[in-house]
Amino acid sequence: MGGALIEADGLDMRYATGRLALNGASLSVAAGELLVVLGSNGCGKSTLLKCIAGLLRPTAGRVLVAGRDITSLSGRALSEGRMAMAMVFQQARLVGRRSVLANVVCGTLGRHRTFASAIGMLPRAEMPLAMACLEQVDLAGFAEQRAGTLSGGQAQRASIARALAQRPAALLADEPVASLDPEASEEVMRLLRRISAHGGLGVICVLHQPVLARRYADRIVGMRQGRVMFDDAPTAVTDDRMQALYQAVAA
Amino acid sequence: MSATVEDRIARDRAARGGLTTTGRWGGTALGFIGLFAFLVVLGQATFVVQARPQDLITGAHGMADILRRAMPPDFSKLQSELWPALETVDIAFFGTTVAVLLAVPLAILAAHNTSPGRPLYAAARSLIALCRAVPDLVWALLFVTAVGLGPFPGALAVSVHSVGMLGRLFAEVIEDMDMGPVEALTTTGANRLQVFSHAVVPSVLPSLLGIALYRLDENIRSSLVLGFVGAGGLGFELLTAMNLFQYRTVSLLLLLTFVIVILTERMSAALRRRIG
Repeated sequence: MGGALIEADGLDMRYATGRLALNGASLSVAAGELLVVLGSNGCGKSTLLKCIAGLLRPTAGRVLVAGRDITSLSGRALSEGRMAMAMVFQQARLVGRRSVLANVVCGTLGRHRTFASAIGMLPRAEMPLAMACLEQVDLAGFAEQRAGTLSGGQAQRASIARALAQRPAALLADEPVASLDPEASEEVMRLLRRISAHGGLGVICVLHQPVLARRYADRIVGMRQGRVMFDDAPTAVTDDRMQALYQAVAA
Repeated sequence: MSATVEDRIARDRAARGGLTTTGRWGGTALGFIGLFAFLVVLGQATFVVQARPQDLITGAHGMADILRRAMPPDFSKLQSELWPALETVDIAFFGTTVAVLLAVPLAILAAHNTSPGRPLYAAARSLIALCRAVPDLVWALLFVTAVGLGPFPGALAVSVHSVGMLGRLFAEVIEDMDMGPVEALTTTGANRLQVFSHAVVPSVLPSLLGIALYRLDENIRSSLVLGFVGAGGLGFELLTAMNLFQYRTVSLLLLLTFVIVILTERMSAALRRRIG
């Protein structure tokens, strides 16, 4: 499995409101590994993902991406450090009026900070890469179609293609199937599985469905009240341990 | 768990029932007060505008006289009035184009989701409000005083007032925009300008174009009026013809106005349909 690609170590996150969203949370993911983070609403799993993605700065702890601590970076160095990680959200967040291909090419903009791209031109040289990414998500036939015409599952796959076009080492997915029907959910999970197993990417996926987690994860991380309760292989996560995550938290 | 949900539903229902009963009584009383207030205001307005419907009847003779003297339109003047007609259209076209170019950056500053900072936001909002609050006719009066008679002060007046109208509408479009693609592109490592041109522009461009076309259509009508205060175009010709009692020229000018307004309305509507 090799060394850890991403290593979050003892993360604390206290928001300005005083709420402690993360309390010493740690996890690591290796290349080619699919990690699913489970937990009830407000347990800190999205905060954890944002800290790892470099969108939030944790109040304590480190996030090592390929051995480099990104929590100490800022400005340009931070945005370059972030580029090793691509994000997928609950909504596909495509520009509906542009073609699917144009949306995917937008994933490469971070590598092309040119004047032409600043005034709205797409880097032509990246078209073949973008097409390859679309093929990976089985949407090559939809390249010229407007993104707004895609179904929910197709749109989510297109947004994964955009994330791949960024050529990341890791993919961070925040509830990527929360607004999809069961069939489309399975399809997206299968795709994430394939991306990690065959593409060699480390994938961290926040989910609300224990069933999907059991079926697709290499490891399941259970969170509750900002803490990591367990970090184990799916077979080792019993129903009791799973249920303990979702028991109502006493106020 | 289920008990709390039922409790809540019961509470909701009680609250809603309470609201409708007080609402029914309070509503009727409020309705009467509202109607009374409306009648009072209408009464004073009738008095203030010195409304005398009987004058319309006694004045009918005078109007018929004017109509008779205005017929038929003096088509021999058509050729010499084509230039002022072109002026009217161009005042609107030039003014609207300049207004769009100024309103876009202002709207970006005046939309809370794209504005770089509080002071710039407030400044842009105030500037837009000022441009909008002063009617284009008043702007035209000011600009005629400043740069003299002719179409140019008209074009300036149209553009300044339109900056106010467009700035506000553009800012609203930007504020209503789906921020998803903006956040998604920001996380891919794209810089501010790239996010703007690849996520913001494609989302808002069709709405902005539609609004601008509608504004052009409005501006053609207002540039007709601007001539009355010396800002060129058909309005100025209309004023001159009225002052010289050339009613047949007046009717020709009204006919031209009608044709221009209908044509631009149709064209702008057709273009807007194609964009949408």
